[in-house]
Order: sequence, then structure tokens, then C-alpha cells
Amino acid sequence: MSVLLDVQDLQTRFQVRKGYVYAVNGVSFQLDQGDTLAVVGESGCGKSVTMLSLVRLLPPAASIENGQVLLRGEDLLQLNLRQLRDVRGGEIGMIFQDPMTSLNPFINIGTQMAEPLIYHRGMSKSEALARSAELLGMVGIPDGEARLREYPHQFSGGMRQRVMIAMSMSCEPAVLIADEPTTALDVTIQAQIVELVKELRDRSGVAVIWITHDLSVVAGIADRVIVMYAGYIVEEAPVDALFEDPRHPYTVGLMGALPSLAGETGTRLTTIGGSPPDLVDLPDFCPFHPRCPYAIDRCRKENPMLEPVIDASDGGHRAACWVDIREVELEAGAAAGSV
Amino acid sequence: MTTQEITPTDDFGIAEASRTNLWKDAFARLAANKLAVIGIIPIVLLFFIAIFGPYLTPYDFLAQDFTARLAAPSSEHWLGTDELGRDVFSRILYGARTAVAVGLVSTAISLIVGLIMGSLAGYLGGRVDMLVVWLTDMTRSMPALLLAIVINLTLKVPLEAWMEQMYLATKNGFFRQTMWVDLVLVFGALALIQWPGYARLIRGQILSIRSRNYVLAARALGMPTGRILTRYVIPNAMGPLIVAVSAGLGGAMVLESAFSFLGVGVQLPIPSWGKMISDGLRMWQTHPYLLAGPAVMMAIITVSFAWLGDGLNDALNPRQWGG
Amino acid sequence: MSQTDSSNRAPLVRVENLTKHFSVRIGAYGETKATVHALDEVSFDVRRGETLGLVGESGCGKSTAGLTLLQLHRPTSGKVYFEEKEVTGLSEKEMRPLRRRMQIIFQDPYSTLSPRMTIGNAIGEPLWLHELASGREAQERISRLLNDVGLNPAFAFRYPHEFSGGQRQRVCIARALACEPEFIVCDEPISALDVSIQAQIINLLQDLQEEYDLTYLFIAHDLAVVRHISDRVAVMYLGRVVEMAPKERLFDNPLHPYTNALLLSVPVPNPRQERQREHIVIQGNVPSAISPPSGCRFHPRCPLAFEPCDHVVPEWREAEPGHWVACHAV
Ligand SMILES: Nc1ncnc2c1ncn2[C@@H]1O[C@H](COP(=O)(O)OP(=O)(O)O)[C@@H](O)[C@H]1O
Ligand SMILES: Nc1ncnc2c1ncn2[C@@H]1O[C@H](COP(=O)(O)OP(=O)(O)O)[C@@H](O)[C@H]1O
Ligand code: SF4
Ligand code: SF4
Ligand SMILES: [Mg+2]
Ligand SMILES: [Mg+2]
Repeated sequence: MSVLLDVQDLQTRFQVRKGYVYAVNGVSFQLDQGDTLAVVGESGCGKSVTMLSLVRLLPPAASIENGQVLLRGEDLLQLNLRQLRDVRGGEIGMIFQDPMTSLNPFINIGTQMAEPLIYHRGMSKSEALARSAELLGMVGIPDGEARLREYPHQFSGGMRQRVMIAMSMSCEPAVLIADEPTTALDVTIQAQIVELVKELRDRSGVAVIWITHDLSVVAGIADRVIVMYAGYIVEEAPVDALFEDPRHPYTVGLMGALPSLAGETGTRLTTIGGSPPDLVDLPDFCPFHPRCPYAIDRCRKENPMLEPVIDASDGGHRAACWVDIREVELEAGAAAGSV
Repeated sequence: MTTQEITPTDDFGIAEASRTNLWKDAFARLAANKLAVIGIIPIVLLFFIAIFGPYLTPYDFLAQDFTARLAAPSSEHWLGTDELGRDVFSRILYGARTAVAVGLVSTAISLIVGLIMGSLAGYLGGRVDMLVVWLTDMTRSMPALLLAIVINLTLKVPLEAWMEQMYLATKNGFFRQTMWVDLVLVFGALALIQWPGYARLIRGQILSIRSRNYVLAARALGMPTGRILTRYVIPNAMGPLIVAVSAGLGGAMVLESAFSFLGVGVQLPIPSWGKMISDGLRMWQTHPYLLAGPAVMMAIITVSFAWLGDGLNDALNPRQWGG
Repeated sequence: MSQTDSSNRAPLVRVENLTKHFSVRIGAYGETKATVHALDEVSFDVRRGETLGLVGESGCGKSTAGLTLLQLHRPTSGKVYFEEKEVTGLSEKEMRPLRRRMQIIFQDPYSTLSPRMTIGNAIGEPLWLHELASGREAQERISRLLNDVGLNPAFAFRYPHEFSGGQRQRVCIARALACEPEFIVCDEPISALDVSIQAQIINLLQDLQEEYDLTYLFIAHDLAVVRHISDRVAVMYLGRVVEMAPKERLFDNPLHPYTNALLLSVPVPNPRQERQREHIVIQGNVPSAISPPSGCRFHPRCPLAFEPCDHVVPEWREAEPGHWVACHAV
């Protein structure tokens, strides 16, 4: 498989009143053709800002300080706005968490869906509408032609997300970025959307970046997973390796904190104490150390780099941690998750 | 208990001050707000002058000096004199009384009416709400100045006639003073124009605060309605209301000057800035100082009230305090 | 601990055919009156010392159930008993002593604390109101409560905006605890929180339950969380409880097709299992509570629907001891 998207050392920060918020701090990853990459982390860890940086859809206070975003070898950060517009909605499709606000409430679905087709594909209005009806069928909304005349408020949340997916897939993108597409939805609707995206992916070969804060969704959809914390990638691994052999204390903590339908009940959840840091300074220490049960002296003095883990069961397993947590005796009480 | 592992996050690093009372905290915050403090000074001065004005003025406001009509500002008449040779500075000081009376009384009336109507609408909802909303819409759809003129034209003559009759019947000297008719009409018109704004604001605040979970939580604690109002609804509705009232105080004074200009203002023996501005306007090209004095005073007072209002709003909102 | 056997305990709270309808205006200009069937003929009980989980998709009436049970909504019909004493129909004044014993924690810790009240005062309100403590003693109680929920007692003088979501939820828990309640409705107390914080709050709630012998009605939409914390679980769909059973039974042997569908929708946090497991996805959306389907409300989406389902309301019955269900196919 060839590398489709290659992100190198991406750094994005926000200018705020008292200085900067360092939202993305040197993020690098690759996405192969047809692959699904999941990005996991708590809210505020920089998932959305990373993805918005790729296509420079950032608010005015944000600036990309460094990095390369190579889509088939071409650096998106060097494109002018016109060229970039061809990429947005063309090569790279996006769907967002809140399908209510991603659609214009005053314009009917058909007009909204036709727009990118007319703009990117040069279709006529009637061609675009016909294609839109087809697309609605593809995402499981029957009776497409009639529904094109309806307005967003006439669709339920799950239906709107389907419309968003149809729109983002309409120009046959090479990459689909889905930013917490199911967070606002109920679990039965989430399951529908996950199945839909998997099906579309398998049919069209689109590469998917699936952002979520929910590790359990990741298991069902991803090939590889990136775990983010405080604007850094702290662990990256193939999905099986991540779940079976997590190497970063934060990943371990997230998994312990997760009740599951299969696990034992009657046990206490292990917790991660404290709360995520605010990002007003670039740390010269491990950003996780105030919450980390494995922290050693070095963690307070140096920020670890993302490096291949020792004895990886799989290539491409990297973590940013000074400690080999397998060596630490778990029964020492560390697993309880206290600081 | 086994909560040791649930560690509180690090201390915020703020000194552990004994901040206990919203009002006390708010006062400290207000004192630290430069604009608000700057705004307070003219307002305090205004009230001081309104009370002690007669003892401060170099001249009587009616004293006419025919030798010095329309005199330019000089060491004798700091702000010059008007066409009747009256000292403008003295008249401005006296005018503070009118300004305070107009601002306070009309705002108080409209605030009381607005509070009652707005609370009824917000709390009772349903038909009462619809009625209040309709009334406010009706009132606000009429041009304010037109309303004042219509009121003045239709009510002034019959009211004065009634006063005359009452005097004849009772021989009570009070009824000879037709100035009360003016006052009632001007305050009435100002209140009529201003109450819908307060009513809508209060209604909106009550509706939004009532739907907050902290009110629900207070009900779940078994708190009586009165205490919910005083502890939760009012403190949270206060900020916007204070801003509106302080803007309204200045606004009422400006409106009154517009009334005067149209000839439906206060016809008091003592001067009003509005009247002075409207008189000054006629001659502003040749004698700008006649206009400048009262206009500058009015501007300073209006801006001061606005700054104070903003300052109070910020002071009462802990979120604005930063940390 | 919450996982003790609660089957033979006496009910602390019992609701019987509890119904709550809201009248609303619909249409572009609000010209049409309509009725939202938020809660229809719901019956369940919560036994002393247990946690009853209440799950269902958003809008199915979980919050309405909690609020109506606490008499924060006046029920349209039906009864609520607290210690077998009827509380429906009591005036607010008669309710007051009971309010101390039944508390609620809300989903959104941001709007649940007045921004203009220090958290110490917020926690002190119930002490004052129910005359539980005053003066120096109240200060000590507030400190102890803050400590109990894992916050620094020095925080008492701070305002809510200085706290994170998780910390605010701890404050809300402390305020509820200040009343020394026996029963707490937890209305999605972790849904608005970060993943790593959710587990902290779950553990805290469990610790407090053990410490103070609390009874919880734990409302959530996350089945895994409900399974973790509950002793028994009730599943709601569109205003009705469709199934209720001890948790092992409900999760291992669900009887109602909706419960089953719900369980199959939950992603399994294990990639190998996820790849092998069959993905049967329930189709369609939850219909509107303004015009709920006739008969069994689940029938338009039910894979098992048959003849009587679209016109006969299935009876709420005890299919096996302790296992209640409303379905014609069971
Ligand atoms: N407009 C903004 N101004 C300042 N900071 C921002 C802005 N938008 C986001 N941030 C900060 O950037 C960080 C990353 O945010 P985001 O990428 O949205 O997180 P998430 O992982 O939840 O998607 C957060 O800490 C947030 O505070
Ligand atoms: N105050 C209200 N007025 C009108 N409808 C309401 C009100 N509260 C809730 N509802 C409606 O009742 C139904 C159940 O709501 P709710 O109990 O909040 O569901 P849940 O908590 O399960 O998400 C929904 O359709 C909701 O729109
Ligand atoms: S580097 Fe140290 S503090 Fe950071 S995650 Fe590893 S062990 Fe914990
Ligand atoms: S009653 Fe009928 S429609 Fe309802 S759940 Fe049972 S089988 Fe399905
Ligand atoms: Mg995000
Ligand atoms: Mg709810």
C-alpha cells in the first residue's frame, strides 16, 4: 500500500489574550490508501485542530507554525486558497460532530448537496440533483428525489449525519475525515453510521480518519490508532496491538476507565487522577506526568519523543514514554491510578 | 472511605481569600474597575450639585443682567450669559436638579411598571404573557417623540382645566401650580416609552433563568419560591438589568431634552438642560457656548452612567473576574 | 457495595402507572396544540440500598421519569410512593421534609450551579434550608462534604466558573449529599464529562453509596456504564419501560427485542471480537413522542413484530421471577 497522506511535524497554536494555546505540538502520521486511522483522546487534546490544520480550515486566532501535509507528495500547506478549495470537499471530504450546525437550515438538502458537485465536478444543476438523489440512496435514505426538496429540520440527527456523509462522499474523495461523527447520536444510530461508513469505505476504497473520544468505537472500525494527549501523539499502533499491548500509561488508563459489556462487574474502575492540562505552555517535561502512576524523575525533566516500542508485536507501534511499563510491577499499587 | 485515589487537581495557586459574599466581592471588583470609578465621580458630583446647587451658584438662575446679555464666557460669567443675561453656569448647576429628577423618577416609574409586567409575563406565562408581549410591541412600535407630543396635546389642556376647577372648589394653593401637570405629563410620557424595554428584559431573564438547572436543583432541595427568587433568579438577572437601568437614566435625560426641543418638555421655573440645549440650538452658530455647556454636561453624565453600569455588570458576574 | 443481592429488600421508592404528558404547540407559528407522551404508564420500584439503572435512547423519557418521580413535574396520572407512603398529590410544603431525603444530580454540571454563588454557599443551602447545621458547624460540614467528594475544602470560597466539569459535578454531588438523603436520582451524571473523568465520578458515586447506604436511580444512555454500576436495570423506549430485570439476567438473557437490539449496537472494545461478531443493526429512527406508534411502540422497527403488535399494547408482566417485560413475543 502506498502512502496517501503524510503529515510531518505539524504545529498549530492559538493566539490568546495571555499568550498562546499550544493545541498541536509536532504531530506526524501517515495514512495509506484505503486505510482507516482512528484518532483518540479526551476533548481538548487537539484532535479537531489537527484535522482542520490539514486543510487550513482554522479560526483566525490559529496559526500553523510548522509542518508539512503531503497529499500524494504535494504539500497542502503551500497551496494557495484556490488550489486548497479544490482539495476541500474534493480530495478530502469532512464530516463533523454536530450535523445540526453543519447544514444550512434555510436551504433545501438538494441545493446543498448539488453545490459541491457543480463546483468540483462541473456538473449541471440537473445532473447534480440526479446524482444527489442517488447518493442519498447509497447512504440509506430511500425516496431520495422527494427528500432533496426537504430542509434540514425535517431530518432526524442520524439522517442529517447520513446527508453529511453523502455530501462528503459525493466527489469521491481520497480521504474522508470524520470528526466525532457519532458523538451526538444514540448508540443504535451510531451503529448504523459506523456500518454505513465501513460499507462505503470497502466499496470506494476511501481512506478514513475517524476521530473519537470513545475507544470502543475504534475497535470496530480502525486499522491503526493514534492516541493524543495535550497536543502530542503519545501512542500509535495497529488496532490489535493497541488493545492487546498498550504501552503508554495514558492509553492503559483510558482502557481501565472504560466499563464494558463483557468485562467483570463488581470491580472498581481504575481511574486516571486529576484532569488534562491546559495548553498555555510548551512543556519541557512529559505532559502526562502529573497524572501518571509510572512517572519517574526523568519524566519531570524531559519530554519523551514518540519512538518505536521495545519488543513490538507489530511494526509501527510507537509510544512517547520514558518507562517500559511492562517492567513495572503492577501489584505495587500503581495500577490504581493514583498520582 | 476510599476516595484517596480520587485526587483533587492541584491547587489553582490562588491565595485562599475569604471571598464569601457576592456583594462584598462585587464591590471590591467595582473599585478596581477604572472606567467605573471614573464614571462614579461625575455621578456623585451630579447628585451633590442637585442637592446643594443653590448654595454653590454665583448667581441666581433667574437673575437677569441686562447689561451683559449673550456675553461670552469671562471670569465673571464662566460660561457666558443667555439672551436674558442669565448666568449659564448657574443655570447648568440648577439644571442638575431637573436632570436628576427626570432621570430618577421616570426610570423608577418605568422600572416598577416593567418589573411587575415582566415578572407576571415570565412567571405566569400563557395569556398574561401574550398580553404583555402584545402591549410592549404596540408601545414600542410607536415613535417615541410622536407619542410624547400626542400625550401632551391631548392631556395638557383638560388636565389644566381640571386643576383650575379643583382650585376653585377647594381653594387649595397646590392646584394653582400648573407645573405639576407638566411634570406628570413628561414623566408619564418617559415612563410609557421606557417601560416596555424593562418589561421585555425582565421577562426574558426570568424565562431563561427559570429553565436553568440550578433553579430545578433548588426546587429539588425543597426551597420555597421566595427564596429561589431572592437567591437565584434576582442575582442572576441583576447584571443585565443594572446595565439597562444605568443606560436608561442617561437615556431619559436625553429624551427629555428632545421633548423640550419640541416644546413638550418640562416647563419648570428652574432650568432644565434639555430646555437649555433646545434654546441653545437656535443660536449655536453665533453663540455656541450656550449649547456647549449643557450638551457637554449631558454627554458626561450619560457616558458616566454607561460606564458605571458596565462596571456593575462585570462586578456582579464572577465569570468576568478572571482568576 | 452496590453488587449485593437486593432482591429481597423492601422498595424505598415505587412508581405505579406513572404518566406525564406535556402539551406543546407545533407548526411554524405554534398554531397547533399537541401532546408529548413523554412517560406512559410506567411502573417500577427501587429497593433500599440498590442501584436501579434506567437506560434508553435520548428523548425516551428518562429525565421525565426522574423529575416526575421527585414531583418536580406534576404527574399527569399515576402514583409515586416513598417508603410506601404516597407522595403524589402532596403540596410543595408537605413535600419539603421528603425533599431532604430524595435528591437529584443532573447531567450538565455547568448549568446546575448558580454562577453567582460560591460553591461553599451552594453546598450550604440545604443545610440552612433543612436546618441541619448553622454557623461554625455548617462550615465544618461543608468542609467535610468537599473532602468526601475529593475536593480541597479551601475551594469553598470559589465560584463555579473556576472549576472543570468533573469538579463541578463533584460539587453537585456534595450539595445533594448535604441533605443527608437516602435516595438520589442520578440523571446522566457522567455524560457531559471527559472519558478519564467519568470513571472518577462512577467510583465516587459507588464509594458514597457504600459509605452512606444510598439508593440510586441511575439514568444513563451508556449500557456499559449502567451494567457496571447497577443492580437491576430498566430499559425504556419512547415513554414506556419495556424490560426490567437484575442486571446479569438483562444483559445475558434479554427478553425484549429492543433490549436485544440495543445490546447489539454497543461496540465491543476488542478488535478481534468486533471483526468476528455479527453486526445486526437495528433499522430506522425513534418515532416522535407526539404521535407514538399504536400498540407496541417498538413495532415499526421490531424484527419480530407480528399480528397483534400494531394494535394491542403488550402487557407489563413478570415473565420470570424478577424479570419484567412488555412484549407479545415473550
Ligand atoms: N478558537 C480557539 N481559541 C483558543 N484556543 C482554542 C480554540 N479552539 C481550540 N482551542 C484549543 O485547542 C485545543 C485543542 O482543541 P480541539 O482540537 O478542538 O480538541 P478536540 O481534541 O476536543 O477536538 C484545546 O485545548 C482548545 O482549548
Ligand atoms: N418541559 C417539556 N415540555 C415539552 N416536552 C418535553 C418537556 N420535557 C421533555 N419533553 C419531551 O419529552 C420527551 C422525553 O424527554 P426526556 O425525559 O428529557 O428524555 P430523556 O431524558 O430520555 O432524553 C422528549 O420527547 C422531550 O422532547
Ligand atoms: S514519560 Fe513518564 S510521566 Fe510520561 S507517560 Fe511515561 S512514565 Fe508517565
Ligand atoms: S410486542 Fe411485538 S413489536 Fe413489540 S417488541 Fe414484542 S414482538 Fe416486537
Ligand atoms: Mg473536537
Ligand atoms: Mg435526559
